[in-house]
Order: sequence, then C-alpha cells, then structure tokens
Amino acid sequence: MQPKLKSKVRCTDREVGEVTKVIVDPLSHEVSHIVVGGNGAGTLERQVPMAQVETVLEDAVQLRASSTDLERFPLLKRDEFVTIKEVEIAHLEDHLHVEPGEVLVPLPELERNVKRRTFFANFTQAIGVLVALPLAVPVLRYLMKPMYAPLDNRWLKIGNAGKIKTEDVGVQFKYKKKVKEAFMLEAEVDKNVWVLKASPAVLEEVYKGKDMDFHDATGRLLWTNKQNVPYVVYSGKCPHLGCGYKWRGHKVLGKVFLCPCHLSIYNAGGKVLDGPAPRSLDPLPIRVAANGDIEIIDMEFKAGTKAQVRIV
Amino acid sequence: MNGQPTAIEKIVAFVDERVGLKTLQAKMLNEPVPGGSRWAYVFGSVLLFIFIMQAVTGILLMFYYVPSADHAYASTQYIIHEVDYGWFLLSYHFWGSSAMVIMVFAHMSQVFLWGAYKKPREMVWLVGLALFGIVMGFGFTGYLLPWDQRAYWATTVGVEIMDKTPIVGDFMARFLKGGPTPGQMTLSRFFVIHVMILPAALMGLAGLHIFFFRKAGPAGPFRGSSEELKAKTDYFFPRQIWKDMVAMGAVFFTICSLAFIEPVVLLEEATPDPGEYHPEPEWYFLFLFQLLRLKIFAGEFGQFLGAIALPGAFMLLLAALPFIDRSPERNIFRRPIALVGWIIVMISIALFTVSAIINREFLD
Repeated sequence: MQPKLKSKVRCTDREVGEVTKVIVDPLSHEVSHIVVGGNGAGTLERQVPMAQVETVLEDAVQLRASSTDLERFPLLKRDEFVTIKEVEIAHLEDHLHVEPGEVLVPLPELERNVKRRTFFANFTQAIGVLVALPLAVPVLRYLMKPMYAPLDNRWLKIGNAGKIKTEDVGVQFKYKKKVKEAFMLEAEVDKNVWVLKASPAVLEEVYKGKDMDFHDATGRLLWTNKQNVPYVVYSGKCPHLGCGYKWRGHKVLGKVFLCPCHLSIYNAGGKVLDGPAPRSLDPLPIRVAANGDIEIIDMEFKAGTKAQVRIV
Repeated sequence: MNGQPTAIEKIVAFVDERVGLKTLQAKMLNEPVPGGSRWAYVFGSVLLFIFIMQAVTGILLMFYYVPSADHAYASTQYIIHEVDYGWFLLSYHFWGSSAMVIMVFAHMSQVFLWGAYKKPREMVWLVGLALFGIVMGFGFTGYLLPWDQRAYWATTVGVEIMDKTPIVGDFMARFLKGGPTPGQMTLSRFFVIHVMILPAALMGLAGLHIFFFRKAGPAGPFRGSSEELKAKTDYFFPRQIWKDMVAMGAVFFTICSLAFIEPVVLLEEATPDPGEYHPEPEWYFLFLFQLLRLKIFAGEFGQFLGAIALPGAFMLLLAALPFIDRSPERNIFRRPIALVGWIIVMISIALFTVSAIINREFLD
C-alpha cells in the first residue's frame, strides 16, 4: 500500500505531523519518499525515505524513527522537484494511489439511465452510417468518371515510307496527336512509333504465317494487317513498363530495339532477346497508301502483361 | 522589476488562466529522456522541422503554380526564371524532399537498431510505418507536378508498377491516373493528393505518432543499469532540444546549400514521346528501378514479384516486426539477426542504387 497524502505520521514516540507530499521515482514509478510536515514538525518539511516507513495504514504512516531522529532527515528543497502535472512520464499516474479516496461529482438526474446512454451512442454511429452510405456510391462514381475512356480507333497519318531506306532497320516516326481531355481545350501531344520495312524473315517472325486482326472494344473487326505487306509498325511504348525504347547497336546482338529504362532488348521482329519484358513489341494496324503515306491506328496496350490488353 | 507585471506577463497570465498554458508547456518540455539526451535522438524532431519547411515552401509555390497540363510547366518555369527567389523556394522544396527521405531512413534505422519498436512501443512503430508510406507518396506525387519529361516518365512507370498488383491493380492505376494514360486528370489527382490529402494524413498521423510516443515514453539507450540511466537522465528541454535545434540548423544549411549549388532545372515539357530522355525515378526509388532490371524479375509474374510482392512483403515484415520479435532484448549487439538483416538491406539498397547510376553510362 502506498502512503496517502494527508495521512498522519507517527514516530516511535509520538505523532509528528502528516504526509504533505510524496516523491515518486521516475523510473520505477514507486513512491520513494514521503514528505513529513505540519504540526509536529513545525512548518518545516522533511524528506523521509520509504525504507524508514514501518507500516502504512489507510490514514496513518508509522515511521521506524523517533521524533528526535526525524530532524536528521534532510529538509525538502522544493525547487529540486516538479509536480507530476508539469512532467510527462508515461503511465506514471497508473501506479500512483496516494490520493486519500476518490473525489466525486454527482451524475445529473437525467444521466442515470445507462440503457439510454448506450442507445444514444449506437444511434450516433447509425447516423454516421446513414450519412456515409448514400455518399459512397456518388463519391466513387464522381472520382471514377474519367477512368474508362472509349478506345480511339481513328486512323492517323504519321509520315511517308519514303524516309525508310534500309530493310529491317527501325525508323522512328514522330507525329503529333490531338487530344481532347474532359474540359480541356484540344491540345497536341508528341508521340512516336517505330516503322520497319521488313524482310520476309522478319515478317514471318512478326506474323507467324497469319494475318493479324485488330478489333474494337465490342469485338468488331477494325482492320487486318496482311502478312505480306512489308511495313510493320510497333507502338512506341515498351511492353515492359511503358518507357520509350530506341534502335541501338548492341555489342553481341547487333542492331536491336533497346529500352533504356529496364534494359529490355527486342530484335527487329519485336521478339524479346534479353531483359525483363513479358511480351514482344506491339504491332499496330498500318496501311500504306500508293504514294507511301503511312497511316496507323494509334493503339496503346497495357505494359507488363503477357497478353496484350488494349487501353487506348 | 518592482513587482508590477508587464503587459506581456499579463497577457500570458490571461491565457494561462483560461487554457493552462504553463502546465501544458511544462508537460511538453519536462519529458525525462532516460540515459540523457543524445544526438541519435534528433531525427524525429528534424523530420518535423523538414515537414514544416516543406509545407511553408509548398504553400508559397502554390501562389504561382497552376496544376493544369497546359500551364503546369509554364508556371513552374515562371517560378524558376521570373519570380524573385522562386528558383530558391522551388529548389529548397525539391531538396527538402530528399532530406525528408534520408531522415526517414535514419529515423527508422535508429529505432530499429535501438530496438525501440518493441513492447510497449508497437503502436508508435506502426504509425511510423504509415508515415513512411506517406513520405514516399509525397515524393511520388510531387514529382509529377512540374510536368516536365522527368515528371511524366517517372509517373508513367510508377503507375504501371502499381498496375501489377493482382486483382485491384488495373482499377488502382486507372483511378490514380484518371484514365488509361497520364494526362490532365492525373495531374489534378496528384496535385490534390500532394497538397491536401497527404498533408492532412501526415499531420494527423504525426500527431498520433507523437501522442503514442509520449504515452509509451522514450525508450532510452539499450545498455546500462537503471541506476546509470537515472543518473544521466535529463529532460527534453533544454539539452535534447538544443541538440535537435543544432541538427535542424545543419539540415537547413545543407538544403539551402544544395538549392544554391544544384538548383532545379526542368527538362522539356511532358509529352508521351520521351525523345532523347532516358526515364529514371528520383534517387530514392533508383534501387527499386534497378531491381526491376534483374532477370529474375522478368515477365509478368517476375514483375509482380519484384515490384509488388517483394516491397509489399518487406513492409509487412516491418509491420509484423514487434509482434514476431518479442524478446525484450534491445541491445543490437545481442540481436544478430536484426543487425545482419539491417546491414544486408542497407548494402543492397546502396549496391542497387550505385549500379543504377553506373548503368547510365552504358545507355548512350
């Protein structure tokens, strides 16, 4: 039991005063000293270690010392202490039971029905749910509005095949694409694709002996790349994580498509030669006019997946 | 001093009478630091300081910055080239973000090595991990705002990585981008996240972090008997605060110097054609970037493994740490697994970062 504040303090011979303060050890959280003051000790307050306390009763503390011995204990130097209200020691209050009893405040008449309090607590939560639930769908729909834009199946002129001089060499075509996003004015962005005048061997690698069909979102056939048309166009987006790749010389592999981001390497036929890419480069629908003008459908596919998933 | 209170004393007394200011202040400052103040304990305060400075510089940047695809770049260039000291505030904000990441690493390492995440400080640790996520989120979203090529491509790749999360990945990526590809909607979303959602979350969680920390109390050193610790104990004020202030000053000086020496320079305006630019994330994401170049993380599953599963598992491990590691032993030299684990993680991050930098040379 901890000595209570205001407890009478008795020495072996007589009562000497009361516990005016207690001192707590900040590490162990135990009461280390009592401060004895009041009538018997005069106005002086002395610091008595708990080791000198023989017994602690509900309202009294019995010391081992006699009243004359008491004067040997040091006087309290108040400015060497702070009160527990002025210091933050974790869980200190949990260990302290030095207040003599509890201080009570009456519960108002209307608050004495516990059932009703529980009801109101639950009701508050119910109101919260009633507010939040009807909002959930509108808020989600509000935020989701631009997420699933329709696919863009327009043909786009990107340049003339006349600029391609050599077979099986990646040639970058840069072009402007008009974009109209939500409320924004129509703007132009720079994009690029890689076009190849492909040899029969490379065509075989791209088409694997079959014409290549392209569909719209509903599955309707948009276009078929004929396997004997010698022009192949690859989306400029690396199928690994969507960076832009380049046509570069490689010490061992010769001329290749190389993505500088994560070093995926593809051959002219788009096949992955090295690096982390999960699939070949993405061929796009291409049509070449008699005068050499190249048109494409500027599709984009999700990067990082084994299967082609069209997103634009 | 003739006993008459001055006007300021009267005002303080007025406020104190109503809100208990003095007790509150005393409680804030009189927090015993077991074993005494140390330079090792400055990181938390320094982080708070960096955050406040990021908030101040961030608010100032918003006076000119316009978060729209057709003005973001121009308004950022305007801040850099036209507005008086705009270059400095922007560069401070930029380098401040790096300082934040470094300090988060230092803070987490200190707590980890000192075993301060253990009982009864599990909640402090968990909230701290959430704060770590928020700091990373700040870095990622803020990076897009200048709307230059660096910004655009870091976001493109970053969101593609998120897309690899099973089941919800596609939804998350589209939700964040506000469409299939980065554009105005992405910029709007990143802006709101960067200037509203994350700051609010950070302030709330940082408050909770400090509250939990104060409730649990500082852990103190991992060595020494309780008598030794008691003999060396002092209060948060003044010795620890002094050390914190010196550290803040040093960090402030370093960030300012970096802003002067290496002010922010934008690349070309963002567009889906990278041109000659080789996309790369900010340095603190470089190790992850380099990791994804590894052959074992190739292909769809490999990518999920490297980009989602591995970092996710690492974060889960950190979160579970205080519940797995229940031994009360805090001395790092008696926790060989923890020590070796920390060294391996740090060396791997350093190695991958350095190799990413070395790799740059072979790309032109």
